[in-house]
Amino acid sequence: MWQKRQGREDEYAEFATARAGHLYRSACLLTAGDTHLAEDLVQETLGRLYVRWGRMARVGNPAGYAQTVLTRAFLAHQRRLSSRERATDRFPDLPGAADGDAPLRLTLLDALSRLPAKDRAVVVLRYWEDRSVEETADVLNVSSAAVRTRCVRALGKLRGLLGEDLSEYARP
Amino acid sequence: MPENQQDPRDSFEERLTTALRDTGDGFTADRAALVAGGQSRGRRARLRRRAGVLGGVAGIALVGVGGALLLPGGDGSVEEARTPAAAPAPSATPRPVPSYSGDDLLKELKGLLPDGRFSGEGARGTGPGLPPNAHLVYDDGDGPAAIGIGFDRVEPGSPEVRELTRCPDETLVAYDACSTSRLPDGSLLMLYQGYEYPDRRVDTKWWSAQLVTARGQHITLSEWNAAAEKDAPVSREDPPLTPAQLTEVVTAGVWRDVVDAIPENPKGLATASVDEAPPAVSGERIGALLTRLLPEDVEVVTEGGQEEEYAYAVVDDGEGRSLVQINVQPGMTDGLYGSAETLDDGTLVSTEQMPGEKGGAGVVMWTVDTLRPAPASLRVVVSAFNSGAQDRPATREAPALTLAELREIALSPEWDTLAAG
Repeated sequence: MWQKRQGREDEYAEFATARAGHLYRSACLLTAGDTHLAEDLVQETLGRLYVRWGRMARVGNPAGYAQTVLTRAFLAHQRRLSSRERATDRFPDLPGAADGDAPLRLTLLDALSRLPAKDRAVVVLRYWEDRSVEETADVLNVSSAAVRTRCVRALGKLRGLLGEDLSEYARP
Repeated sequence: MPENQQDPRDSFEERLTTALRDTGDGFTADRAALVAGGQSRGRRARLRRRAGVLGGVAGIALVGVGGALLLPGGDGSVEEARTPAAAPAPSATPRPVPSYSGDDLLKELKGLLPDGRFSGEGARGTGPGLPPNAHLVYDDGDGPAAIGIGFDRVEPGSPEVRELTRCPDETLVAYDACSTSRLPDGSLLMLYQGYEYPDRRVDTKWWSAQLVTARGQHITLSEWNAAAEKDAPVSREDPPLTPAQLTEVVTAGVWRDVVDAIPENPKGLATASVDEAPPAVSGERIGALLTRLLPEDVEVVTEGGQEEEYAYAVVDDGEGRSLVQINVQPGMTDGLYGSAETLDDGTLVSTEQMPGEKGGAGVVMWTVDTLRPAPASLRVVVSAFNSGAQDRPATREAPALTLAELREIALSPEWDTLAAG
């Protein structure tokens, strides 16, 4: 019994160590560069995987599952946040956010930060994780149509903020 | 039609993919710290789950075996309120053992602690539902510290007992000290002196004592060197109780009676999940209903909101602008912040009057926070400001709506209909 559990622990530790870096980078994109929050979300994600590890081994694709947990943890966090810290950062629109003045100076992270949380999640899943529309819809518990709508809107906004050729975006 | 009309988006998407990759790859993780942190949270979550308590994301709602607290004066009172049967056993279920209310637990806990000042108390008694716990902020004069105690049962002799009382692997979790001993009565006691964040990003210390008796009574006592386990500044070098004092408190006989008073097979919330949020309510519909529910003597100057869950209106009753905002969120299982009253139908209500959070001079924020009972778990939070925007100076002394008016809006049954539809 104990040995079996120890085996699972080792397996978990191996998986977690292998995936932590990628999860963290995903989290940094989801949080638009808030590295503290990203760390928190990754630890939360790994914590949940730990709890479910016994069952996960039978499920297969733990990496995909981890990404799903991370995304949902992020969205849950944003939701909770919106219960406490509402408003002004989104109300009314940030001055100059979409005026077209010097949008090319924005970094990609700045631009991501101006997307609603779910739109950001769609962008990260589709273009960073390379998930299909359907897979993205599953992660977010929305319809494929909703993912497409969000995607089109998010791309439009990013294009407006960063410029069509993305040549001038700055790195973090 | 321009020749490049054919598929301009694809190439943008490709460039975006590259840009995301470049940006994402610029972040370097301390993988060992993340894994250690994750593992530690997982262990604690498992303890909580065993206790039938579901932990929230990012440690927001750590109630139960692990002890405690989030915010001073945190959720405990809410939990207690949610379990009205925490009071003396109802006649329908006669019990051979006494039951303990949340207040009883607090009284016992305070009686066992050295002299000091107490605040931020919260507790849940031994009624049906979630397992009992008590937590408070204790100050012996050297700085406020969160202390929490939680209770449940485990099967005597099961592997779980060993797991609960075995010190973590030092290569995986950084801590200062940990020891496990067997007491003369056969109980196992683990004394752990570690950190709230295993990566020690913040040096909040978390010390705990885990006691599992030969009969499977499981008692966890935790303390921090801050007034809350997270999001409170470190207030002192160490938590107030030494390991010897932790031992003394956790082994007090009364706690075993408390565990015995927990009804068999309490129905936990273990199956609830915050992973999947229910369908969101559109901000537009929220805004429309908010406008309709506003008192007649105010005029709406502007309104707006987000796509989901949030709307606002700037109103004027002739004495200046006042921002009113609302969140409508189904499936919020985390409880309310602060103390709350419970209405007959189980809805929790808390009110708050505080300075604005976004920097506008003299801005105050009045909030009524409500949470309908499960399964809807609909949270409706309405706030009003004495300014047209939180980050602009106050335009009037008080918000245009009274707390009573805000409460009426928040408790309108129309929100339930809106969220259900």
